[in-house]
Amino acid sequence: MARVYNWQLGREMSYWYPESRPKRQFAAVFDTNKCIACQTCTLACKTTWTSGKGQEYMLWNNVESKPYGSYPLAYDVKVLEMLNSGKWTGKVYEGQTIFESAPAGERVLGWRPEQQDYAYPNCGEDDCAGQVDHGAAMMALPHMSWFFYLARICNHCTYPACLSSCPRGSIYKRPEDGIVLVDQGRCRGYQECVKGCPYKKVFFNPMAGTSEKCIACYPKIEEGIQPQCFVSCIGKIRMAGWISKQQDAKPDNPIDYLVHIKKIALPLFPQYGLEPNVYYIPPIHVPLSFSRQLFGPGADEAVKAYRNAINDPDLAALLCLFGSSEKMMPRWKRVGDDVFGMDDKGATVVKVPRNEPVIVRAAYDKLYQITRTNCP
Amino acid sequence: MKSVIAPIVAAVVLLAGCQRAPTRTNEIVTIPTRNVPLIPTDPAWEGAPEHLAKLLPQDLVDPRLMKASTAEVRVRSLNNGSDVAFRLEWVDPTQSDMPGPARFLDGCGIQIPRTIEPNPPDPQMGEAGRPVEISFWRADWQASVNGRKDTIREIYPNAAVDHYPFEAKPLEPGSVARKEMETRYAPSQAVGNNRVGPRESPVEEMVAEGPGTLSPVPGGKPRGAGVRTKEGWAVVIARKVPEGLAPNKRTQIAFAVWEGASQESGSRKMRTGWIPLSMRVAK
Repeated sequence: MARVYNWQLGREMSYWYPESRPKRQFAAVFDTNKCIACQTCTLACKTTWTSGKGQEYMLWNNVESKPYGSYPLAYDVKVLEMLNSGKWTGKVYEGQTIFESAPAGERVLGWRPEQQDYAYPNCGEDDCAGQVDHGAAMMALPHMSWFFYLARICNHCTYPACLSSCPRGSIYKRPEDGIVLVDQGRCRGYQECVKGCPYKKVFFNPMAGTSEKCIACYPKIEEGIQPQCFVSCIGKIRMAGWISKQQDAKPDNPIDYLVHIKKIALPLFPQYGLEPNVYYIPPIHVPLSFSRQLFGPGADEAVKAYRNAINDPDLAALLCLFGSSEKMMPRWKRVGDDVFGMDDKGATVVKVPRNEPVIVRAAYDKLYQITRTNCP
Repeated sequence: MKSVIAPIVAAVVLLAGCQRAPTRTNEIVTIPTRNVPLIPTDPAWEGAPEHLAKLLPQDLVDPRLMKASTAEVRVRSLNNGSDVAFRLEWVDPTQSDMPGPARFLDGCGIQIPRTIEPNPPDPQMGEAGRPVEISFWRADWQASVNGRKDTIREIYPNAAVDHYPFEAKPLEPGSVARKEMETRYAPSQAVGNNRVGPRESPVEEMVAEGPGTLSPVPGGKPRGAGVRTKEGWAVVIARKVPEGLAPNKRTQIAFAVWEGASQESGSRKMRTGWIPLSMRVAK
């Protein structure tokens, strides 16, 4: 085991390999407050990548309804139970990660789903927390019943557990963009990665005999285009980009701004120790104790900052950039009421108004002498 | 009629666990024969002495097997001067030959140093610059060779699949366009890494120079077969006679057994250390 620095834990930790960060790291921000669980992302991914034989059950992208929904079944609570998570003191995690608590003979503390655990994608999706036993729950504030949607892809972690679990070194992290891939020519289907990944985002293909996972649509990324699940998102909840190291955060990098500067976007289960690179703006209507368990100790401040976005012109503007172009926008700026998404060289990719103008169209179109309808 | 009955009787005796007590040897002794038998029920095996190899959990390299499973493997060997076959038989009450998530497969392997030397390489898959040759049999490959179809319903009988895009019109069955599209959804097969599915042999020949370095031997001619016995598996693995092995010469051999029901796979296996392998002089 090597000693590596995990900024999300605020400390060094043990990892199977020495620290080796890529030239730049693929990262994303998902705004959970905007997700409506339409599953368009799920189907976009499914259609693009996992329509083959043996991939029937695979969802490289899934959207689960928290607190109860999960895929595979109970993947989150199983690992949380095993880890017996420790305390945070401020922003420093004092418990053990899945690497540090690996039992004898194991590289990580892992949990292996059974086949049946994949049979009920998002089981619990219609159940909200709390009982609705005294009439309509929405009549009392705060709402005693709540749920929210958590869209998930591979986190392309800085310290991937799948990668460290593989005894053959068949999983690698691309030095040019930090995307984590399974070498399909080298994998022998031992399924150690499936057991090791706490997010359960590696899947064994029984008709290929190898493990397969989200590839962050790297052929698109290489062309400067965001992945399928990002560009198909009708709720515009996602933004793909590149994250810098904490001390190198750049205000004109949208991911850096949201994660490092505004601290509004948080990693999923940072206590596992993988330094995941998909960041979530936590839901604002969920008990903070739950959000802290999912997103770490930054949940309180993130919710506060998000609620205050209306008074924060830069933040409000940047949030409007989500889903505004299929192209990657590694830089951004606000000019007045407009926000600009830019490429690496600063050329404008897209300009979006912070406040969309409201245009009311008359019900009757005099020019064409026809009544308008709302049908798309 | 007699010539037909004799092999059947011998096969029954063999599958019953070699009830006639075989000659036991302290090492693996390969016996000369005219034709190397490629199936475990061949009566020729009756004439070969047996070595009882005790198995140990692989507990030296992570991830390890922390709980012992298969206790021992019974080994016999026959050769014709150019090829050598090993018959491995072990107890395994559960037949694990169906791949799937959290499903693991029965298997066995033999390992021989590429070069005969006084101090053989590390029995844990060899060492850098000191390769070991490995032949590996797996139960699902045997099922494929035996005729199991390569469809999802063989694995999940109640599977319902709406649509595979590469099976939709206008792509015609067998067309280049269809094959090309099918390959897009099968990346491991596209790069020639056929871990499951149709194959000619249930055995794979490989070479390794240490843990995690296992790689297939291009152009290898893996041969062998496995059958289910009353108690477990009987498997024959055949290969060319190791370089330098001749009558009165000795090399080393190691064995490994994977029990799928115990979730054994890769480095999680029961294995032996090096066992001397010698070739008996033809009478």
